[in-house]
Amino acid sequence: MTVYAALMAALIAAGAYIAVPVGPVPIVLQNMFVLLAGLLLGWRWGPAAVAVYLLAGVCGLPVFAGGTGGIGRLAGPTGGYLLGYLPAAAAVGWISQRAENRTFLDVAGLIVGTAIVYLCGVPWLKMVTGMSLSKSLAVGMVPFLLGDGLKIVAAAAIAKAIRPVIRKDSGAAATHEYSRS
Amino acid sequence: MNILEADRLSHRFPDGSMGIHEIGLTLRKGSFTVLAGPNGSGKTTFLRHLNGLLMPTSGEVRIKGVPVREDPRRARRLVGMVFQDADSQIVGETVYDDAAFGPENLKLDRREIHRRVLAALDAVGMSGLAGQRPHLLSGGEKRRLAIAGILAMGSEVVILDEPFSNLDYPGVRQVLGAILDLHSRGRTILLSTHDLEKTIAHADRLLLMEKGRIVADGRPGAVLGQTERYGVRRPCAVRWGRAVESWLN
Amino acid sequence: MAELTAFGYHPGDSVLHRLDPRFKLVCLIATSLTVLDSGMAALGLWSAACAILLVKTGVSMPRLLRELRYFGVLILFVFVARAFSAGGDPLVRFWGIGPSRQGMMEGALVGWRLGLVVLLGLSLMATTRSWQVKAAVESLLRPVPFIPHKRAATMIGLLFRFIPQILSAARETADAQKARGIGNRRNPVFRLVKLAVPLLRKTFLDADRLAAAMEARCYTEDRSTPPLSAAAGDWSFLAAVCALSAVAWVLSRL
Repeated sequence: MTVYAALMAALIAAGAYIAVPVGPVPIVLQNMFVLLAGLLLGWRWGPAAVAVYLLAGVCGLPVFAGGTGGIGRLAGPTGGYLLGYLPAAAAVGWISQRAENRTFLDVAGLIVGTAIVYLCGVPWLKMVTGMSLSKSLAVGMVPFLLGDGLKIVAAAAIAKAIRPVIRKDSGAAATHEYSRS
Repeated sequence: MNILEADRLSHRFPDGSMGIHEIGLTLRKGSFTVLAGPNGSGKTTFLRHLNGLLMPTSGEVRIKGVPVREDPRRARRLVGMVFQDADSQIVGETVYDDAAFGPENLKLDRREIHRRVLAALDAVGMSGLAGQRPHLLSGGEKRRLAIAGILAMGSEVVILDEPFSNLDYPGVRQVLGAILDLHSRGRTILLSTHDLEKTIAHADRLLLMEKGRIVADGRPGAVLGQTERYGVRRPCAVRWGRAVESWLN
Repeated sequence: MAELTAFGYHPGDSVLHRLDPRFKLVCLIATSLTVLDSGMAALGLWSAACAILLVKTGVSMPRLLRELRYFGVLILFVFVARAFSAGGDPLVRFWGIGPSRQGMMEGALVGWRLGLVVLLGLSLMATTRSWQVKAAVESLLRPVPFIPHKRAATMIGLLFRFIPQILSAARETADAQKARGIGNRRNPVFRLVKLAVPLLRKTFLDADRLAAAMEARCYTEDRSTPPLSAAAGDWSFLAAVCALSAVAWVLSRL
């Protein structure tokens, strides 16, 4: 699991650079990978992956959205979103683990997780910038909701496809794959 | 002397399907064995039991008399493994670092690590590439680096899982040369393949696997006649009734 | 796999390569903090220093720039957003709004800061091996309570190794899909899923194989890596960075 968590952290980091061009605005995969960390690794290892990612960012590696890094970023206006990733991944993992492979639980978890990110992010934004609540919402949440909706649908579908690949006893999956190929 | 013994080894996957079934095998020290079988016959699954990457559902593997289950670390030190995929077994950022990975895990002191790494790289003819990035190497060089990584650990048995896949002709010759060199220095070799052409001239024993069982075992000359029944092509030369030639000639 | 991204390690023997990784990390943390707070003059100073060091590492510049093109779009976006929203007198007007001089200045400043932070981070990644980062993180985290520093360090080291691999896999997947005309599909969910599923599957299987290969070579968290030793050169580099920070601080407040 250590390797998986590190891999997921790397995916979140790489997600800052992988974009799907949809219309004029590219959709960045970063926050989708955060939610997927919770879905795929569960409520303990999901946040662990996010923590490793944040630690790498604090060290100044260019892993935060837009390729920046540093403590300054964590303390800056968008720091709340980044810190919100932690409880969000935990919540997604916890909710989706209530039962095996239930799509509606996955989706519920994803919605709650997304909400948590904004719950941490928007007040923080308001506090740091001194904007009014309505302006904070207008800048820091409303423009992204459509994209988040798409990502929730996508994340649920992806989790369904990827779960069989991940086995709790690492090493076995690759062997199994070879034995079938 | 038997360096490796497997006793009635079975492995059942979590989904209930059988990987391997009641395999028994003993390897003599210094032997060169080829394990052949079509894809999906359980070669990789079987090999991964020999150094404790997989644990059997029933049965036992012993390395020099000590069960793998009792001390997997010892087994992994003594039984080195070269994997099928050349890229995902590279763990270091430079050739030197990659070869040093094993000895570092064994907690040797730096001077000893340095000595072993240089000797291992020299043995596979890669001393000049120590500072290179491994991902830029050719396929044959990557495989030889993997072999060096095992040598540096001091393994006595070397297991190679499909070492020739995706290699061009010079690559095959380089890797084959490195394997034969290991063998001549007294290492025990176990090599899996679905293509006998490249190695059988050098082997002293041939095993055939099918559906998780060993179905034939003996000197290559005796077994070669029945390979096609089990989904492995007989080498050309044998079809024409001649002796198989080495790829190095 | 032969084609590598700018994010991986580039062997070399420059000042940055030889520097103790702990000092590199500390300097990076410090500079990325001060850079985000710097004015134009200070940024010029930082950029010059960064450019000299980066050229010395031997990383190919054109490739670096190509690698960062998405990021360039983002900086442009930030610039435009700032230019239009910062208030002040618009220079030109479309439909009542327009970029102002203050806005443009501010946008350029923010974009420059972000760009510099990225370059600083990349220069660390290009000159530091993952075990060095691991060792540095481990030694820096040791005094912090409640964090399993060995495990955290191992994971950071792995993260380092995975990022270039994921990026090149992502490019490969995207190319394969472009070749089969995914550009004609408009549904964004479809495209997200079709990119992410093969990418994740491939990277998870790769990770599995890597884990097996590491295990087969007796991997433990407690390894004998070369000891980190701080030489006089490291301390003087740190001193130089501190001095530069002080100058930058003063410049930003003039």
